Amino acid sequence: MNSPRKLTLVEWDTRYALLARGGLREPEYGGPLSRHVLAGGDLRLRQLKFDDSAASLRLWNFLLTENERLIAARRRGEKIVGAMKDLGTVPVMAYSLPGVRAFYPDGAWWTPCLMECSDGLLGQAEALGIDASFCPVRAMLAAFQNGEHFPRPDRLLCSTGAVCDDFSAIAQRLERMGFPITWWEMPRRRAPEPGEPASTLPGGWVAPRVQIDGVREELTRLAGILGELAGCPLKEAALAQGIAEANRVRRLLAALRQTVYGPTGAPLPALEMLVAEMLAIHFCSDRDETIAVLSGLLAEAQTRRDQGQSVVAPDAVRIFWVNPVADLRAMNLMEDWGGRLCGSDFMFTHALDLIPEDVRPLEALARTALADPMIGSGRDRAARVVADCRAFGAEAVVISRIPGASHCAREGALIRQRVRAELGLPAVELEIPPICDPLLPTVSSRLQALIETARERRGQARAGGW
Amino acid sequence: MLVYLTSPWVPAEWVKAHGLEPRGVWFEPEFDLERTALSAGVCAFSESVARFAELHPQAAMVFSTHCDQLRRGYDGLESVRPERRFLFNLPATWQTPVARRLFDSELERLGRFLRGLGGREPVIGELETLLVQSWCQRSRLLSAAPALSARQFAEAAARFHWDGQIRLPGAGADEGGERPGARAVPIALVGGPLPRAQWRLLDALEGAGSRVVLNATEVGERSLGSPPQAGGDEPARLPESGPGLGQICLERMVDVFQRPNTQLYAWLGERIRARQARGIVLWAYIGCDLWRAEAQSLREAFGLPVLVLDADEVANGWTRLTGRIEAFVESLQPDAP
Repeated sequence: MNSPRKLTLVEWDTRYALLARGGLREPEYGGPLSRHVLAGGDLRLRQLKFDDSAASLRLWNFLLTENERLIAARRRGEKIVGAMKDLGTVPVMAYSLPGVRAFYPDGAWWTPCLMECSDGLLGQAEALGIDASFCPVRAMLAAFQNGEHFPRPDRLLCSTGAVCDDFSAIAQRLERMGFPITWWEMPRRRAPEPGEPASTLPGGWVAPRVQIDGVREELTRLAGILGELAGCPLKEAALAQGIAEANRVRRLLAALRQTVYGPTGAPLPALEMLVAEMLAIHFCSDRDETIAVLSGLLAEAQTRRDQGQSVVAPDAVRIFWVNPVADLRAMNLMEDWGGRLCGSDFMFTHALDLIPEDVRPLEALARTALADPMIGSGRDRAARVVADCRAFGAEAVVISRIPGASHCAREGALIRQRVRAELGLPAVELEIPPICDPLLPTVSSRLQALIETARERRGQARAGGW
Repeated sequence: MLVYLTSPWVPAEWVKAHGLEPRGVWFEPEFDLERTALSAGVCAFSESVARFAELHPQAAMVFSTHCDQLRRGYDGLESVRPERRFLFNLPATWQTPVARRLFDSELERLGRFLRGLGGREPVIGELETLLVQSWCQRSRLLSAAPALSARQFAEAAARFHWDGQIRLPGAGADEGGERPGARAVPIALVGGPLPRAQWRLLDALEGAGSRVVLNATEVGERSLGSPPQAGGDEPARLPESGPGLGQICLERMVDVFQRPNTQLYAWLGERIRARQARGIVLWAYIGCDLWRAEAQSLREAFGLPVLVLDADEVANGWTRLTGRIEAFVESLQPDAP
């Protein structure tokens, strides 16, 4: 069997022809990757390197056809919910109802990257009053206005309160532009005071009951809205079933992470892992297909691991990555310079942790929503990063800054300090704009320096026996 | 003990009812924005609040979650003992029972914090009296506003948030300058915090030929609540079964972070139209997404030109700032008869 390797888009066309001749079976959204450049304008794909497995091909095709699939769903008469900001909770409710799909318009933040800004979304957002001092998620604003990147949702449900100001401000601007939003309160998670009633959240944090009860009540309100949209109430049994299905996705992802981030080589590349983890938040608008895609990836990863195959060099430095990257190419670069992904906090660890199934469904979702790493103290998030770095054996940490994102102004330094203080690991902050090519020398040199430092530390550890 | 507040929506009356001294940070002479070194994207106000807290360990600081920068500034505090700092969770929504309950529970928690500082258990009747007194002071200040210069009003409002007192300049007083004449261009000043270190902005605005007919910055008119309803003579009651302090606070809140922020627009619209403002100056810190994102919406909502001023330029770009103000005011001047 050939060792896995990463392919350019052109190489993938050749590989696709081979696979097709060999009887490759694909879902209806399948096809060669290059068609997304030709028909969809996803020019960035020309600069990326992809895993060569059929499972990864399916992953990419699934990701890049979301708009088409949503339009098809709309044509079939299904209702479409735009969930905003909470990253992982509202979609679990939406997919528990028949004929309802949820997606995150927030995801439009990757469109300028994928289309190498040929979409003009960032410029249009600027014309709408949201300039480059805001996070690239401002692309969402223009995407709503021009209607070219996703169908207009039937309802918009946006969490507010302890969320990023830039997102909240952009969403408010959206509402003023004539897109009504249902806002729901997300308090800033805090530790319970001595003697205060509290419950443990997925992931291990503890929150006071008053906050959990408040969020549960807000979710109950949303359940009513979603039920109205679906034309049938969202009953507990259906929601419990929806949670069980969401947990199926989360278990698959946990197994995939365990397999790929394990101690031996990396069976799948970092880029595909980033995309795979993203599926957890809204199932890329198709929960059943997400399960199929992840099952395929897991099988591929396990086979490669069992056969000792890796997509990176055996001595690649194990890097824990914090925050998603606005330019997907950054994940390739990290591997090009001798790193490998060994763990991640892409801002939605609460969408990876299992939703409790031993409490009532809305209570379970309230606890899950409150486990969002972005709504609590930066110190909480840093503590989890440290714990995960330990668990996955990280040798270095990259905190990628999202240009204009309000949380990045302070949080990176806090995480970096904690990682250094508790683990002694080298850590850097890297600003990754939607197209990082102009910053390539800086990004590359910082990554190289980090990886060299980690290697030196590894050498010292071996020499010193620690 | 002094308890510094960083949001006008955390009720100073509640601190006072515990026998402690609330102090709005905006009037504090040692609150210095100009000497604060900033990392990329960090708001100068939130950073200055954090530094102030670290430099004044003997005082207590109440942060609030109404902006991301402040709440994350709180997360970064290292040298301030936990018993001296408090983060008040201000709900962004305001229409639901959940928002009211969250506010109430935060008040209770703040009460425990204040008692931990040596405060006493508040007495309902006493709190009611404090609310009535505060209401009277607010009304007095609102009534006096039209006769004051921009700086005089800002100072009076900040003083009110400092110690609850109103000190209006006497007749003929020249402190803070004269109220500009009727020929000056009426403008509305809208935006975030405007602490005393930055009041020269107000002089620059009026010196350029404008008249600030509405100060809707964080501790300007917005922070004083609406005037009493006609016939209403009981502005604040806390009966056992009636609306609690939390509800009173939620009702008087008018801010950009609220979702939706329709209350802010309704409040602004009423005053901008009544006072015939010809332009809006939007005062925003670098990194303050909440206010910056409103520039276009303000233009569209009121059909007025909007000048966005970077608060950071008071310290590092005064000439540019005043030049922009002058050009803006000049462009709004009516043609000479």
